[in-house]
Amino acid sequence: MKSLLHRFFASATHGQRVPMAGAVCVALAAFLCSCGSIRPSRTATPLGDEGGFPPRYSIVCIIHGDGGYLYHDARGEAHRADEVALAKVKTVAEQNAQAEVFIFHERRRKHLLFLFPVRDGTFYYYRYGRLIAEESYWRDQGQARFDPEMELYDRFRAEGPSDPTRLFLYFGHEIPETGKAGYDASYKSRVFRVDDLADGLRRVTRDSTKIDLVVLSACFSGTPRTIAALAPYARYVIASPDNLHLSYFDLRPLERLDIGLREEDVSAFAYAFAHHAFDRLAEDTQTAVTVVVYDVDRVEGFLRSVDRSYDHALTILAGRNPASIEHCDCADDPAYALPGMNEGTTVLYRPSRFGRLQNKENHSGWECWRLLE
Amino acid sequence: MHRYRAGRQSGTNYTMKGADMIKRTALRVIIMMCVLVYAGIAVGQDNVQKYFNDAACKVKATSDPLQKREILSDKLQDMSKALDAVQSSRLVSNADRAGLDRLKASLQEKQDELAGANGYARVSDDQLNAFSDYVVQEMEQADRTITIGVVTALLIVIIIILIA
Repeated sequence: MKSLLHRFFASATHGQRVPMAGAVCVALAAFLCSCGSIRPSRTATPLGDEGGFPPRYSIVCIIHGDGGYLYHDARGEAHRADEVALAKVKTVAEQNAQAEVFIFHERRRKHLLFLFPVRDGTFYYYRYGRLIAEESYWRDQGQARFDPEMELYDRFRAEGPSDPTRLFLYFGHEIPETGKAGYDASYKSRVFRVDDLADGLRRVTRDSTKIDLVVLSACFSGTPRTIAALAPYARYVIASPDNLHLSYFDLRPLERLDIGLREEDVSAFAYAFAHHAFDRLAEDTQTAVTVVVYDVDRVEGFLRSVDRSYDHALTILAGRNPASIEHCDCADDPAYALPGMNEGTTVLYRPSRFGRLQNKENHSGWECWRLLE
Repeated sequence: MHRYRAGRQSGTNYTMKGADMIKRTALRVIIMMCVLVYAGIAVGQDNVQKYFNDAACKVKATSDPLQKREILSDKLQDMSKALDAVQSSRLVSNADRAGLDRLKASLQEKQDELAGANGYARVSDDQLNAFSDYVVQEMEQADRTITIGVVTALLIVIIIILIA
């Protein structure tokens, strides 16, 4: 290596040596920066200095941005869904003076000078409306999908005798129900499935009380398999069983939790949030809009009754070409159209304004799979 | 003798300059390839969506329903032609071919609806702006549900540029 470098420099003329040496120095500095063990953190305020009372609300938010997240609004302006979601969640964090907010932004992996990878996750921690810490991290560390995020969560979470009202928000594409690679554009072989998300929730709950409200801003997340996987860790889930426009659910109801959750009635708050999100989506979207609130305790009967059929269907469809299967309303399949399927769900639905399904009058709130004819 | 040595020296210098040139050219080619791959991936993934968004902007910019209909119809047809051309390429995998089939079927449905064919009620004149938004949103959603590789996406963009 040494002789190679020597030969390389020796072959360069004097005029070239100075810029070349400069380029090597820059490359070396970049390499050291990207691989260094020093955490590039920016802590705005030391932890523990902000007030005597523990936070009343705790919000964990994961924003997946490692994929195609471009969309256009009705004015034709282009937006990156993950960046828009990040801005909205930051506003929520700044507006809540009684909350701690953990934001994890999972970004596409980039390389400095096309060679040196740079950290592909950014963590923000807010407490009482103020940014306490901002830190970048590597997303591919650890065995479990959310190991890096949970390590940061454990490091920063406020300890206290009281149990805060907990919310968990996920923004991203459809979460695969079975082991499927390709969710992350930067990690083509990395598998992500709904069980990984459930494991993240389990670690947030620390195996004790359930998370009060889980919001899944992702397409096709209202399936029996997804809700069943999250059921042990969530009291209420808000999700879209159908396609969800990338503008996601509007987060304005979260901006003042001290008002929205004044009565500590999570159920009423979940319905208010869902109605607001539905109204906003229906305003700007021409495709179908479906927002559902799942009262987890009350849907468990239906989940148990379809569990075997649904798992069987997933096994059969797993070997098929993805282009030969499609999502459908579970009510269209007699195996799932059972008397109790509407129990525990509040369905807000507006059909697509165009297309074959524009006359479909209602949605069961559950999404299944079928083979394309 | 001196002349011979000078000749040998200039020959050595010439060889060294040649080697330098090759190194520099190789470095430039590598950097250019990296830039092209990076740009290509971004272009391939985003430009199909931008294509339909441009169409929607043009539709909204004109008040003549005939023109609106023509813009939408042309854009849908051009994209269908591009997909046909890409599908016949050897670079496209079988999985991508199936994805392209679904994309083509989806585009055909939109053309049918615009024209009022195959059981669809014709999109009314006052609904054409909304329909152009529907096409954009459907294509953005199709991008997530219909999986096609980077090479295929790049081919689509190249052919669309050639056709348009």
